[in-house]
Amino acid sequence: MKDMKMLEARNISKRFGGLMALEDVNISVAQGEIVGLIGANGAGKTTLFNVISGTYAPTSGRILFKGREITGMRPHEICRRGLVRTFQVVKPFRNMTVLRNVMAGKLFGKDRVKNLEYAREEALKILEFVGLAQKAHVLARGLGLADHKRLELARSLAADPELLLLDEALAGLTPTETVEAMEIVRKIHEKLQITILMVEHVMKAVTGLCSRIVVLHYGRKIAEGTPKEIAENPEVVEAYLGESIEA
Amino acid sequence: MAKRAALYGFLALILALLCLVPAFASDYVVSLFLDLLMWIALTESWIILSGYTGYISLGHSAFFGLGAYFMAMTWTHIPYALGVLSGGLVCLAFAFAIGFPFLRVRGPYFVILTLGLSEFTKYLFINLEIKLGGTVGRILMMTPGLETLYYSVLIVGTGATITAYFVKNSRFGIGLFSIKEEEDAANSLGINTSIYKWLAFGISAFFPGMVGAILALRRSYIDPYTVFSPAVSFQVIVMAFLGGFEDVEGALLGAVVLTLVSEALWAQYPYYYMIILGAIVIFIVKFMPLGVLHPIKQRLLKEPQ
Amino acid sequence: MELTRILQILSAGLIIGGIYALIAVGLNLIYGTMRLLNIAHGELIMLGAYVTYWLYTLYGVSPLISMILVSAFSALIGLIVCWSIFLPIIKTSKSAAVLESNSLLIFFGLSVIFSNLASLLWTADIRGYSYMTKVFYILGVPLMHNRLLAFLVAVVVCILSYLLLQKTMLGKAIRALIQDREASQLVGINARFIYIFSFCLGFAMAGLAGCLLSMFYEITPFMGLPYTIVAFIVIVLGGLGNIFGSLMGGFLLGLLETIGVSLTSPGLRPILSYSIFILIILVRPKGIFGRGVY
Repeated sequence: MKDMKMLEARNISKRFGGLMALEDVNISVAQGEIVGLIGANGAGKTTLFNVISGTYAPTSGRILFKGREITGMRPHEICRRGLVRTFQVVKPFRNMTVLRNVMAGKLFGKDRVKNLEYAREEALKILEFVGLAQKAHVLARGLGLADHKRLELARSLAADPELLLLDEALAGLTPTETVEAMEIVRKIHEKLQITILMVEHVMKAVTGLCSRIVVLHYGRKIAEGTPKEIAENPEVVEAYLGESIEA
Repeated sequence: MAKRAALYGFLALILALLCLVPAFASDYVVSLFLDLLMWIALTESWIILSGYTGYISLGHSAFFGLGAYFMAMTWTHIPYALGVLSGGLVCLAFAFAIGFPFLRVRGPYFVILTLGLSEFTKYLFINLEIKLGGTVGRILMMTPGLETLYYSVLIVGTGATITAYFVKNSRFGIGLFSIKEEEDAANSLGINTSIYKWLAFGISAFFPGMVGAILALRRSYIDPYTVFSPAVSFQVIVMAFLGGFEDVEGALLGAVVLTLVSEALWAQYPYYYMIILGAIVIFIVKFMPLGVLHPIKQRLLKEPQ
Repeated sequence: MELTRILQILSAGLIIGGIYALIAVGLNLIYGTMRLLNIAHGELIMLGAYVTYWLYTLYGVSPLISMILVSAFSALIGLIVCWSIFLPIIKTSKSAAVLESNSLLIFFGLSVIFSNLASLLWTADIRGYSYMTKVFYILGVPLMHNRLLAFLVAVVVCILSYLLLQKTMLGKAIRALIQDREASQLVGINARFIYIFSFCLGFAMAGLAGCLLSMFYEITPFMGLPYTIVAFIVIVLGGLGNIFGSLMGGFLLGLLETIGVSLTSPGLRPILSYSIFILIILVRPKGIFGRGVY
């Protein structure tokens, strides 16, 4: 089972008018992996997430989740199968309490819990897990950025994913917060056995967490390999225009 | 728990008193309560879509008018209760029929789209009536007595309030509020946003259909200008606004306050009352942008539980 | 159909289309800069028409002079309304959604006040006067002087306002604000001034349209709402926030209406325009001309 393909995106292209945002991208994630997706701004990372999670339909190509075709499905259908994403710009339900936010994930995600009381208990456990339990009854709009990122994680976890797509879950955090958030991501992977595909700019996190890295550049995949291989890949170094990958 | 029981007891008492109104009150008071309950039904049903999902609709007058015309056209052909229920069902079906394309449109576009919808239905009926009968208005004869009408509005108003309450506190309601906050995130979290909005739209249209059907008989004369008047939609929004837009008890309060205020104004200043009402609306929106109930609620929430 | 008849329909469509454009550009300016849906726009048209009517019938003031007086009067109302109500609530609104619904209610309140005030002061009687009713012929098509005048004034004002947006610094600032509110405030555009300016200009255009319409249409206290909706139809055709689109949309709606009515019957005119409206909003919610800022 260890080698089972969790996600397979084959020959994905996405065109917006005259702009080719993704061109023939192949990416696969095996069960139990943490795969990093990196690239400069505008490389197509978020577009790829949007295509995989059903926000956009690809112009061409196929997406398989656990061996089943999910191409062209709507976001809620994909979520219910166990593929859940977070957003780069966090989108909490601002005028709902933190607890209700997470309950929503429990009620409508893969489990489709019908009992509000049960959803509430489960949501509290998840808030405990990400370290947000003491703020359960605060309105989400009152949280700071670090807590918003935790809430985003908690809400996605409540949907009970097998594969989690993290879109810059660490961006904008202070160094201490980054370390804490990395710890949560590691816990999600190890304790909850959730496979992760993450877009990240914080290279320390990518090299520290990921077993494999995929590099996008202007909508094309230009490299794939272990963190070490990527760091030594001349094409990648050139694409980043000399930015230090070790930073 | 004891607190909740006391609350339910209180509500049951009010409902019992409302049932008794025709027994001891004058016709004027019964008519006033009928008006009150009608606006409660309209406002509570409006918040189910617009309050909970944030899709501000000016289409309530379209459903109100459709219900009224359904009754006007079928009255004397089918029994009263069936006519009222069917008036609601026709609107439900109409909302379901147009729901998917309409609810793809968001924000200000949805507001003006629904305004266009109610104007469209108005002129449709004007032309239809001229084609069918040569005149625009319709007189309804042998209408049921005031008491019958009062009890029907009581049932519809109570039904709308209870529906709004249960929707808000249900799984469905959490889904609707998520759509209001962040529609894309809601969709990515497993909520079938289009179906949820569609259902809310249908439920929201069902009640004004029934209210319209009853009110056609109450007024005994209807024409498209009055029953499809955008003023109906706006008055509902003002009431919902007074109560904070998404509150079941707020909508109740807003409907009661505005109905009583306009009744009092109308009795005192029949010529100026619309002008005063307009000024009051502007004044309240400017100085209490979150509704009149909001400051009271804030105070209640601050107190220790 | 003979050629004169076709030309007659086209000219009628263009004339009313020009006035539609004038109404819509004014409404769109306020929406574009402030994101406010002015439901009371038609009431300003109504007031403009009444002021012109009374000045003419009571004091013999020529509607030509009234065009200027009415525009100034409407701009003054715009100034007062914007200053006393909208600037404060824009400042205190917690979110765009709250501002959107609250401003809708305020405009509704204004429209109720204006129309009922007019009805109270001047009764609900239908009024009208005749002015410049001489007919002359272009290519065999009969045209009344007053309509031609209204058309020319409307089109000239629309083009002037378009040039204002395109060519002047102020216009560039307005366009920047329409495009991106936050960024334009960062680069130091005085948003308060532009809000007030757009309000005054938008209201003035509505008043002027009322003045022009009064020369050949009937005046009643409740004539406003249909024009408000016409303006919405036009700006949906041309795109919310797109001024050039409103200009083209006005002509398009005027032509479609006149042609449609000539093929069916005058009673179907509202149904026709609402059908176009609903169809456009469902199929191309960004308008035929897109949401560019021209």
